[in-house]
Amino acid sequence: MTHTSEELAAMIVSVSMTVNGNATTLDVDPRCSLADTLRDSLGLTGTHLGCEHGVCGACTVLVGGEPARSCLMLTAQADGCEIVTIEGLSDGDTRSPIQEAMYQAMSFQCAFCSPGFIMSTVALLAENPNPTEREIREELSGNLCRCTGYQSIVAGVETAVEILSSQNILSSQNKERSGQ
Amino acid sequence: MTFEATNAQTSGLGFTGQSVKRVEDDRFLVGEGRFVADINPEGVLHAAFVRSPYPHARVTRIDVSTARRMPGVVRVFTGSEINELTNRVPPLASIKGVYSPLYTIMSDDVVRHVGDPVAVVIAESRPLAEDAVEQVVVDYDPLEPVPDVDRAVEPSAAQIWPKADGNVLADTTDTFGDINDAFTKAEVVVTERFDSHRLTNQPMETKGILAEVDPATRHLTLHSTTQAPNVLRWIAAGITVNQGPGRSLRQFAVNKKRRKAFVGAAREFLKDQREELRKQDPAAMKTQRKAENAMGTLMRMGLGLLAADDFPTVKTADIGGGFGCKGAVTREELTVVAVAKTMGRSVQWIEDRVENLTNGGQAREERFTLSLALDRDGTFHGLRCDAVIDHGAYPGFPFGAAITSLMWKVYMPGPYDFKAFHLETRIVATNKGTVVPYRGPWAHETWVRERLIDIAAEKIGMTPGDLRRKNMIGDDKLPMSMITGPDLDATMSAKKTLERALELIDMDQLDRDKADAKQRGHRIGLGLATYHEAAPGPPNFGDSLQPGNAMLLFEDGRATVEEDGRIVMYTAQSPHGQSHQTTYAQVVADEFGVAMDDVDIVWGDTDRTPFSVIGTGGSRGAPMGAGVMRSTAREVRRQVVSVAADMLEANPDDIEISDGTIHVAGVPARGVSYADVAAKAKSEKGITSGPVFEHVDRYTGTGNGGWSVATHVAVVDIDLETGFVTIPRYLVVEDCGRIINPAIVDGQVRGGVAQGIGAVFYEKMNYDESANLASTTYMDYLIPTAMEIPAIEVDHMETITGGDGDSRGTGEGGMIGAPPALGNAVSDALGVQVTELYLPPHRILELAGVLG
Ligand code: FES
Ligand code: FES
Repeated sequence: MTHTSEELAAMIVSVSMTVNGNATTLDVDPRCSLADTLRDSLGLTGTHLGCEHGVCGACTVLVGGEPARSCLMLTAQADGCEIVTIEGLSDGDTRSPIQEAMYQAMSFQCAFCSPGFIMSTVALLAENPNPTEREIREELSGNLCRCTGYQSIVAGVETAVEILSSQNILSSQNKERSGQ
Repeated sequence: MTFEATNAQTSGLGFTGQSVKRVEDDRFLVGEGRFVADINPEGVLHAAFVRSPYPHARVTRIDVSTARRMPGVVRVFTGSEINELTNRVPPLASIKGVYSPLYTIMSDDVVRHVGDPVAVVIAESRPLAEDAVEQVVVDYDPLEPVPDVDRAVEPSAAQIWPKADGNVLADTTDTFGDINDAFTKAEVVVTERFDSHRLTNQPMETKGILAEVDPATRHLTLHSTTQAPNVLRWIAAGITVNQGPGRSLRQFAVNKKRRKAFVGAAREFLKDQREELRKQDPAAMKTQRKAENAMGTLMRMGLGLLAADDFPTVKTADIGGGFGCKGAVTREELTVVAVAKTMGRSVQWIEDRVENLTNGGQAREERFTLSLALDRDGTFHGLRCDAVIDHGAYPGFPFGAAITSLMWKVYMPGPYDFKAFHLETRIVATNKGTVVPYRGPWAHETWVRERLIDIAAEKIGMTPGDLRRKNMIGDDKLPMSMITGPDLDATMSAKKTLERALELIDMDQLDRDKADAKQRGHRIGLGLATYHEAAPGPPNFGDSLQPGNAMLLFEDGRATVEEDGRIVMYTAQSPHGQSHQTTYAQVVADEFGVAMDDVDIVWGDTDRTPFSVIGTGGSRGAPMGAGVMRSTAREVRRQVVSVAADMLEANPDDIEISDGTIHVAGVPARGVSYADVAAKAKSEKGITSGPVFEHVDRYTGTGNGGWSVATHVAVVDIDLETGFVTIPRYLVVEDCGRIINPAIVDGQVRGGVAQGIGAVFYEKMNYDESANLASTTYMDYLIPTAMEIPAIEVDHMETITGGDGDSRGTGEGGMIGAPPALGNAVSDALGVQVTELYLPPHRILELAGVLG
């Protein structure tokens, strides 16, 4: 099947979404995946493509707070959605608590898989702030890593739990102190 | 978990030996890594390949006319058009007795495996290129496929390479010691056949290349995922100079500058390597010469290189794993280079996962018949092995299946005291994907040997631990040489790791666990495996493989101090996950007495970084790579100290450096900084640009080089209802000498073991009986997840013999030790002797007698 350029132009859809807090509207090919839009149109290359068939999880981003495989999701499906990518977690070069935890635990080697694991961890800990090791392994089993044997990544999640819970204790203590 | 070590600490504490946090993570964890797919210059074109759906067929017609008219398509090249632009790929490493077929960059007449590229579309985007690929019409005349080695050697089988001897590309025999005597003398001979299945490396980042053309000069810069930038540079240059030798010679003759440079370099090389060149075995080329004129192709390429005015620059940025497959240069990469050069346009190709599974490098489909001759008291005499390697169709470049047999020849007796060893290997072509080195490419010599030792132990009524202990070479026998040549010294501490591992196992508890498991309908078993790995190996290791090889085993490096006092180190390594940036900064900061933040490590840029034919591979990053960092740093430190001593009016011997301050011992308050010394030296030496201090070194290792060793212990728990295997305990006792960064070493070991677990229980390239490939996605090729890989204990022993640095390699070992430890554990659990590598649930149930 061949198309004339007019036909192709007619097949462009307009998509509005919020990416890492910035509202954006783009014209995209309806076949275009969310991953390709993030990487190629928005320059957010922190999201990686490992398989492009929904198994490796390297492309995981948050869509409305839920983890999603951006290689399988069409950009058009993200219309009206709030997207968070790995670039949206940190404040410039300052690591978020989960990124800091992965740093401390030396979780990764080549780190090609890291954006997916980190985004999955964000989703996991939002849902279950105190997971057991088994729950962590189960939850992360949708992400593949070929380098580490996973132990250091699991340790990274456990460290994140420690950091986040100590921050929670701190903030609730502060609240108490200020009489809230 | 301890968090105290950070790279802001200074040398007073010493970075080496601490789990310092990774420098690389500053960019990776916030999404700022820069992988090849992330580099997208304006106007770059994208390539997509037309590939054969047949395993073996003749290409009768190819019609690209519709594809050429598709939207966004800039050009379509057929295979023969590409082949006109390029030379054939010659064998680079000639191995005695091995015929390595010459092949074209694309298949224009015959396709030899599923996925063989026959044409390439160049378009404005990858999706548009892929749309056009669908429109290329190729007519094939199917030929009989050769699906496996059994079929391949039958006289009626189709012949894949016309100039080979049938489908047998190599038939080699090596004997060490008096093998007949060993087998006649022995009281018992245990013989078994072992089969392993085809695997694939599968880094999470596929391969990729961006051939960027400078519009003004037409100079090519190749951004690549290569483990060996210089190999890619030279082969890319050589392949794309397709012109007659006469023309090349004339061009060379008139270009005075090149001629002079070449003659100078050649003279120096000949002078340095006279000894090694003399050792080269002329027989290595013989098989090749007999079959076809590889020399002619090499000559054509070589002369083309002499005539070429410009060589591509190769750059590597961040690389997402490789495990050997990114050391290979693929036909797709070379196609992209040829296309970019011809069109004068930048072209990118990022392999997709289906391509990577089909065509990105496979490994380890092998068969062994192994015999062990021993006495009833367990004393080993001899080992005999007959092996067959399924080579696939095309030889890997620069290293393919043949390198495996060369390694087996040296490694197979392992850390045991054998009196004789005999190896016969046949390398057989089939219509399957290309075999490339995969993490410890020779690994299966350990798998079959360690498996057979357990079988022998059962036969003579000894425990596997005792039989190993009896025959393993220990301190009482060291130093000595392996029967196959390489020298063994105290670093070959395999026996110590075995003893330590046996100490760490509670056999009584294991017996209780076994009894408990039976109650639950489960079976528990324990397996041991011990190996030794030359990392980097003794000085005679290279020559033991093939005389003259030692000449390749060096590592170049460069250290500088810039005018602002920064220390900049240049390595020939091409890191792809091994944390070189961190470990090298640790070593260098310690040498210079500065913070790690004061050190820059530069890699992966052939314009700036040193030459290496290996790059990163062979577990050489710590011994050789860090070795040259240390040796060059030490010399530059000496230069700095000598200038500082003048400034401080002191004797250089009295100078110390702490926290980046260079001072007289005991008087840190009156010191100078690196920037001060650099400023002084700059004005004194009248330097106007470039580094103030500099040293370039060729490092060949110090002392005896040494061995890396380990004993693996696996405990498996098998559910007899499902056939599912869990691993309640996995222990590695390893000795890689002085550890630079323990967390990084642990990561290497665990990652290797995880791949071994995958190889045994989950992963398999499934070619059917017609050589069609069924494993083209991750739904079919199962990479283990966090659910399947257990926690892995790593116990370190650090044998230090006093060599400089004394850190030995550890990248490959995990993958070497795991398959036999697991096979032995499953055998112990089920009470049967397992002889195949692949043990998926249904096979476990068959072995357990649950399934008929
Ligand atoms: S790239 Fe999306 S799951 Fe692998
Ligand atoms: S760190 Fe390399 S794939 Fe996970």
